[in-house]
Amino acid sequence: MHKVTFKFENSEDVSVFAAFGENLLEVARKTNVAIDAPCSGNASCGKCRVKLIGGNLDSKKTRHISDEEYNDGWRLACVSTVCDDVEVMVPDIASAYRSRMKVADLSSPDEIKIFDDLKEQVVEAGIELKNDMQLTLLTLNAPSLDDTMPDNERFTRAMQALTGVQQIRLPYSVMKKLATVLRASDFEVQVIYRKTEQDVFVYDVVEKDKEVFVGGLAIDIGTTTVSGIVIDMLTGKILAKGSSGNGQIRYGADVINRIIESTKPGGSVRLQKAVIDETINPLIQTMCKDAKINPKHIYRMSVGANTTMNHLLFGMNGDPIRTEPYIPTFFKTNSVFASDIGIRINPGAHIIVAPNIGSYVGGDITAGAFVSMLWNKPEFSLFIDLGTNGEIVFGNQDFMFSCACSAGPAFEGGDISCGMRATDGAIEACTIDKETMEPTFTIVGDEGTKPIGLCGSGIIDVISELFRCGIISPKGKFIREGDRVRHDKYGMGSYVLAFEKDAGSVKDVEITEVDIDNFIRAKGAIFSAIRTMLSYCDFDVSMIEHVYVAGGIGSGINMKNAINIGMFPDVPLELYQYIGNSSLVGAYAMLYSTEAERKVYEIAQNMTYIELSTITSYMDEFVGACFLPHTDAGLFLSVGAME
Amino acid sequence: MPFTAKSGKFNASIKPVTIGSGDKAATIGGENVLPFYSFDAEIANAPKVGIEVTDFGMEHEPECLKKYYDGCTTAADMVKKAVAFEGVDFISFRMEGGDPNGANKSTEDLMATLGEVIEAAGDMPLVICGSKNAERDAELLQKAAELAQGKNAIILAAREENYKTVGAAAGLAYNQIVGAESSVDINLAKQLNVLLTQLGVNASNVVMNVGSAAAGYGYEYVASTMQRIKAAALSQNDAQLQMPIITPVASEAWATKEASASEEDVPGWGDVESRGIDMEVETAAADLACGSNAVILKHPVSVATVSKLIKELV
Repeated sequence: MHKVTFKFENSEDVSVFAAFGENLLEVARKTNVAIDAPCSGNASCGKCRVKLIGGNLDSKKTRHISDEEYNDGWRLACVSTVCDDVEVMVPDIASAYRSRMKVADLSSPDEIKIFDDLKEQVVEAGIELKNDMQLTLLTLNAPSLDDTMPDNERFTRAMQALTGVQQIRLPYSVMKKLATVLRASDFEVQVIYRKTEQDVFVYDVVEKDKEVFVGGLAIDIGTTTVSGIVIDMLTGKILAKGSSGNGQIRYGADVINRIIESTKPGGSVRLQKAVIDETINPLIQTMCKDAKINPKHIYRMSVGANTTMNHLLFGMNGDPIRTEPYIPTFFKTNSVFASDIGIRINPGAHIIVAPNIGSYVGGDITAGAFVSMLWNKPEFSLFIDLGTNGEIVFGNQDFMFSCACSAGPAFEGGDISCGMRATDGAIEACTIDKETMEPTFTIVGDEGTKPIGLCGSGIIDVISELFRCGIISPKGKFIREGDRVRHDKYGMGSYVLAFEKDAGSVKDVEITEVDIDNFIRAKGAIFSAIRTMLSYCDFDVSMIEHVYVAGGIGSGINMKNAINIGMFPDVPLELYQYIGNSSLVGAYAMLYSTEAERKVYEIAQNMTYIELSTITSYMDEFVGACFLPHTDAGLFLSVGAME
Repeated sequence: MPFTAKSGKFNASIKPVTIGSGDKAATIGGENVLPFYSFDAEIANAPKVGIEVTDFGMEHEPECLKKYYDGCTTAADMVKKAVAFEGVDFISFRMEGGDPNGANKSTEDLMATLGEVIEAAGDMPLVICGSKNAERDAELLQKAAELAQGKNAIILAAREENYKTVGAAAGLAYNQIVGAESSVDINLAKQLNVLLTQLGVNASNVVMNVGSAAAGYGYEYVASTMQRIKAAALSQNDAQLQMPIITPVASEAWATKEASASEEDVPGWGDVESRGIDMEVETAAADLACGSNAVILKHPVSVATVSKLIKELV
């Protein structure tokens, strides 16, 4: 056995004993040391860099590490095995997936507008913005020697009288504190409950003079990014908003790799811990601190997530989703409570989940489809959710088709060497001068923030601009030379977005041919899915009257650029509308409005799922779409006209 | 009511490309109907048949070929004989020895051999093929295009990995015909044509090798790719797919077990020479039926047979 010590910039060392020949990344995973490995340890992404400080490692050399870096001690954890006692430094960049949690500034009008617009549209659609959560001051008859009814019965009778409902459900968490609270408050208490036609569920009793708050939590669990909001259930007001990388990323970048990891011994628990203990709970803490509320006062939670993510959240066996005939445990459930899975809000809080409709079309889409409002319009609309799994819905008030395609994490900055989420330092928009090949950026963060990498919207802009300026070919290979275009010793080209001296990181920020290739595949997957689904329904793009684009890929997408690279169909720009993170917005609607929640279930039932892999032309469409803008230039006539 | 047959003639046509010059120049393409649909319209130019010689001369050739090339050792010796074989429309010279994982012959040696071949071929049209290694071909085919100046030869092939070098040398600098090779996918074939034309190569100076396989060796993919390319070129008037198709058959057909297993090893299979010829003829016939405008064969009997087949059908 050899001693392996992981050292960190900002925390204490972790030491563990490992056998000769054990893979360093595996050792790190077993020890819960966070090393980013989106490619699941296949030496293809180059993100699991660690620095050898003492001892020895048996490491293979890869193209991700230059000779100079190798001599400095840099190694890829996934191609290193233990051969001696060793000390390695885990750089902060490697744990960047957890990258500083971001709490959104709710004073930003853009953020608020998306939610306000939704509320307006929901009301227009005839859906009442109201939920069943209530807060009431309840007065009980104080017990005496003549009136010896136990507390729970006393309380139940008073609630029956108040609500007119016979069935009052009093969970253990409330029963436990009942005696103390009633007496401390002279049998006059505030009750937080939910009333339906059948029953009343009591979430909490609080002394009458204490400040109470009926909070709700909506969470969007993406494969790459998790975001959430805390709201006041009584007014619908949003009190805090935040986002974070999904802690499961180190177990694989896509849902398939996650499921595979979950089937390993202890895997299911590790993945559940990664998303709950490392991601959602800290996010709740941060948001509640920001909103100055106690997390225990959050009594309801709604989740918008793809099928794999909601299964892994609940610690359920995801393997049947992956293997034929692809069956999930549930489409719809309302039987999970916060305490069941260790979410740190009120333990009796119900968790509602936007319903899944297929193994690869999940609640994020049903929630998103609700938000797009396409189900309420006679015109045909297309709804596109850009995520690690790209999902597409097409239809109108009479019918809806949906499909999913694997786009990979490129839209959220994964699989891209300089990719990152849309946090401080991310380039979110870019133009390039055709003559000088010099770029101009818009960067997330305060004025003067230096660029660190590219988020999804930035990648679209950069590739579109490189293509427009004739710097890359339609295949994404560099065809122009200049100060900013470089080739490594393997011949791979790259474009330097920011040289080290101008960048916010310790090296040049550059986009390589491999990055561009990954992105072209991602956009090809999206466009070919759109084409395949439309032709399956005997429609073509000319029939589309609205295109709703969702996804947390930045503060907005330059639709013109997205068309220029052949990611979205070439229809007039005014048909496009960016609706932000529709999964989160939909989860919010379900949380706040009981009728909206029902509507989402209804949408899920009415949606027809198309399995693209069963359509023979899909692969052909995909190869045709892996070209800028497309192999069939006739599909993108406006792109040619631009030049 | 009398039956009136509807003509399957299209408004679009395949671009005609002429290889070589002078009396023996061969033109391929130009048709506006599906392969051999001569009942719909006249086939503008009959498909052409080429014979393959490699830089190894007789060294690597199957035993059965020796009697046809009696007394030959070098590639040039063989070409001198081959030009007179029945049905030969062009000579195809393949620089097999250039493969860095094989003999890895020097560029000087290969160019010397090519020079002799060009001389030996006289006014017979020429196809010059690389080593199948994209990186090496970038260098070899660039030199070859230069050396063969004035021959109007097909340089086979520019691939996605090396199209800039090969395309620029053959198509821009030395006025040859660029052979564009892709791997059995209609979209990849078209993408390479787009890249070549964007490089400045005249689309009328491009022929495609859309990939090949011996009959029975995953041939369905080749067949459907060729058919769909022809359908897109003619029925959808897709200009980026209207280049004629040239298909190397010899290197595929003679590499199969059917063509090479000895009579001692597989006594039930019959004569090894006729097995090889059969594989070559069957594959070539299928390629032509699917839309190839030219095929490259190795055995003189195959060449004569396929040439006769074409004459019967056109």
